[in-house]
This record gives sequence, structure tokens and C-alpha cells, in this order.
Amino acid sequence: MLLAVENISKRFGGLVALDNVSLTVRQGSIFGLVGPNGSGKTTLVNLISGFLRPTRGRVLFEGKEIQNRAPDQIARTGLCRTFQITLNPQRMTVMENMLLGATAQYGERIIAAALRPGRVRQQEQQNLQRAWELLEMVHLERHADEYAGSLSGGQKKLLALVQVLMAEPHLILLDEPVAGVNPRLIEDIVKVIVQLREQGHTFLVIEHNMQVVRRMCDEICVLDMGQVLAQGEPEEVLARDDVLRAYISAGGDIAQAGDPDAAPTETTP
Amino acid sequence: MTAFVVYLLTIAGIYGIMSLSLSLQYGQTGLVNFGQIGLFMVGAYASAALTVVAGWPIILGAIAGVAAAALFGVLMALPIGDLRQDYWAIATLAAAELIRVVFLNATLGDPYVGASYGVSGIPSPLLELIPDGSYGWFYLALVGLCAAGCYGVVIWACRSPFGRVLKSLREGGDEVAQALGKEVRRARISAMALGGAIAGLGGVLFAHYIGYIDPTYFLPLETFLVWAMVILGGSGNHLGALGGALIIQIINNGTRFLNLPDQFAALRMVLIGVLIILVILYMPKGLIPERRRRYGGRNAARR
Repeated sequence: MLLAVENISKRFGGLVALDNVSLTVRQGSIFGLVGPNGSGKTTLVNLISGFLRPTRGRVLFEGKEIQNRAPDQIARTGLCRTFQITLNPQRMTVMENMLLGATAQYGERIIAAALRPGRVRQQEQQNLQRAWELLEMVHLERHADEYAGSLSGGQKKLLALVQVLMAEPHLILLDEPVAGVNPRLIEDIVKVIVQLREQGHTFLVIEHNMQVVRRMCDEICVLDMGQVLAQGEPEEVLARDDVLRAYISAGGDIAQAGDPDAAPTETTP
Repeated sequence: MTAFVVYLLTIAGIYGIMSLSLSLQYGQTGLVNFGQIGLFMVGAYASAALTVVAGWPIILGAIAGVAAAALFGVLMALPIGDLRQDYWAIATLAAAELIRVVFLNATLGDPYVGASYGVSGIPSPLLELIPDGSYGWFYLALVGLCAAGCYGVVIWACRSPFGRVLKSLREGGDEVAQALGKEVRRARISAMALGGAIAGLGGVLFAHYIGYIDPTYFLPLETFLVWAMVILGGSGNHLGALGGALIIQIINNGTRFLNLPDQFAALRMVLIGVLIILVILYMPKGLIPERRRRYGGRNAARR
């Protein structure tokens, strides 16, 4: 098991955000995390990636407990995440963002950079090469020298995705990879994610767009009010009455389940 | 008049080194250091005290001054390495004032050295080897060489992967940098160490040029002069920081030939203030805006 969340609970004062949640993510799969707004999905991702500490429970990544590690430490062990709102440095170019994504760079420590300039240059060349490959994969290579802040919402999501790939992660957490993206670009993003799974990458994805969830997830987990409501194959789970009810009572967006056009669209700049 | 121009350029060069240091800290890393003058002061005092009181050779005093200022930069950053800009502003301002008050009260080995007496008789390097009358030119060349060296170091650091991490911190999201596995605290502390070393070198050059220092040279006002230099020149462009230093020093020192009545002296600060407001309003990127680093096409990378 690549990732195992075991009996995780998280309290914020009197509020129980997560209550005894357990799940496991298999190597090479896309695991979907769904549920109405406020059900605890982002809290769970923040716990796994080290930005929050659980009140109780364990997170095992590649067999090691990681729930007490700092976020940067967790990222360096190969568990990387993106954010719901893309927070990429805006006044850095797309290429600078990509190069920032690579981990284990000698040149990031100033003394090492001064002592081994040849090694730093060599590594930089390798990273540059890989960055071009990834940018070509998502058709962003023409934007390499533009500021990340000038990209459209969908392009920013793509950049965040390939930036994380620069770190060569073993598990990628995606927080709403297609939210606010126009339908055509949603297609592209889904294709890229599915293609990466074929290459052996593993994903844990928070997503509200049920069409997308059905298309790409191998397994999903439905959270409701901090608890696991259902877990299993997408078609099976999403057909269950209690799952539907959870969405309807929360005023959620199950409507999207049958209607791809209901996805929120972005205004293209 | 020539002697004055040489003096002005020397002081502008020393402050240019200071503004390069702030350009690295603020322009590249986004660290709001309102205690810049503290780093300068530690460099100046360490070298002055070691050469005057302990009798060290100037070169060793200078190295110790640079090292002490780097250490002071690290000390400033240690408690606030995880915090954001507004906290940095308060904490660094306080740190610089603290060190100034310490030097204002501490005598250095002799009851009449240090404290409010200051340190006098700071030796000038290679004084006996330089022909009479040309020492000013020699020192200007020395300062110019140091400024060029600091410029090279800052440019190198900012273009390295280390500089990229610093820039990502400036852009606001600790979360993104952390999610990409960067040690943000360590990066901030390293930036302050390098910035401190550079500002410290400025302080060393200042002390051995003027020959006398006391705590009144290191008031918070000086920090804001350096800020004016960086903002005017173009935050994030290190060449701009040097240009800004020259312009601000011309206003600050060069206006004494205008033969205005004494009460106009304070107007220099008003003039600098107005200039900064105008720059922020109409040229927010400064005289020389930050440049984008271009990687060209993929084929450019292969070449």
C-alpha cells in the first residue's frame, strides 16, 4: 500500500473536522476523494501533506509514519501536492516555476552552490531538459518565458501539475485539478492525469466534477461531515442513495454527475 | 571640488554596497529588513574595535567585520525565520536599535573608547604606500572594486537555484515552497547571512574611510535612505540599486553647494520623501525594472 490513512481524527476546538477516517491508496491508481463542501476533504489533504497535524491517528506513506513531519520533509520523501487555488509564484516565469519544482538541487544551498558550480550547472541542464519535456506534454512550452501570473486559470492548473512532476513524486495529491477550468481544457487535464497513471504515477484527487471522477478514478471515498460515508468503485458508490442524499442535503453539486456542461466555466482572458 | 566629487562617489559606492545587500534581501527574497543599518554598524564596529583596540591588521579586522555582520544577520533572522513581512519589519527595526544602544553604552576596552565617545583613529589601509593627495582616488577605486565584487556575488546568488527559492518566498507562498520540499526557514536565514556579510563589508569600508565612528552614524534614518535607494532604483534589479544609491547620495550630499540658508538642510529628506512617493505612484517598478530571465526555446537549452 503506497498510502494508508489510519483512524485519523482532527478537531479544531469544538469542531470535529475529521472523525476516524481511514483509507488506502494503491500504487498506480487514481483515488478520488469526494463529498459536499465542508465535509473535510481539504483538511484530510492538509493532514496527509503535513500542513496540519492530526488530533489522533496515523498516516503511513511507503510504510513510514509521516503525520508528525513538516510539509517540506514530506515533499522530499516523494509525496507532493497542489493547491485548490493555484498559489504558484506569479512574478516568476513558467520555466522558473518548473525549475523550482525539482527537489534535491545542490544549488539550493548557497555554500554547496559556491563550492560545486559544475555539478550545479549539470543538474540545472538536466532539470531544464525535463522541464521542456513536461511543458511540451501539456502544450505550455510556448509560454515558458511568460510570468505564471499571466496564464489562464486552466493553464495555471496544468502548470501546478507539471511543476509537481518535476519533483518525481511517488504520490501526487491534487486539490480540485479542474475547478474553474473551461470544459475543453478539462478534457486536456483529465487526459494528462490518465496518461500519467498509465506511466505508473499514483494520484489522490479531490474533485467535485462527478463526470471527471467517473472517468478517471479507480476507487473513490465519499466524505460527509468528517466521516467516511462510502468507499469503493465510482459507479457503485455514486449510485448509492445515502451518497446522493448527502450531496442533496448539503446543497452540493451532484447535478454535475449527469451534466458535464454544469461544470463551472472560466472566463477566458 | 574634485576632492568632494571623489568623496561623494566613495560614499555612494559604500551605500551602493548597502543597497545591493537590501536588494538581495528585499528585492529578491521579499524580506522587509528595517534594520539594515544594524548590519552595517556591526561590520563597522567589529573592524574598528579590532584594529584600534586589539591592534589587528586591517585585513583581518575587515574579515572579522564581514563575518560578524553575517552572524548578526543570522541572529536577526533566527527568531523570525518562519514569519511574514510585517513581523520582519518590526523585529529588524528593533534589532538594529538594540545593537545601536548596546554600542552607545558599552566601552571597548578603554573608558574613553566606544560608548558615546565612539572609536577614533581607525587606520586607513595602505596609507603609507599611496602618494600624498591621491589617497581619495585610491579609496574610491577600492570601494568601486568591492561594489563590483558584491554586485557579481549578488547576481550569481540570484541566478542560482538558491536565488530561485528566495524569489519563490518573495512571491508570497510559503505553502508552495514547502509543498515543493524547500526549507524556507533555512533559505531566509541564508539570505540574511549573505545580505549581512555584504552590508558588513560596506560598514568596514565606511569605518576605515571616515576614520571615526560613533553611534549617531547609525540611526534608523540611514536604513530608510537605503530603502529609498532600492525603491528608486528598481526593486529586484541590482543594477538599479547601485544607481539609486548614487542618486540619493547626490541629493543627500551634493546639495550643500547650492548655498541655501541652513534651515533648508532638512528639506533634503523632504525631497527624498517626495521623490519616493512619485516613484511609487508613477514608476512602481523603479528606474530599472526587474528583468525576466529568458530560457529561449527548447533548442536553446540543447546548445
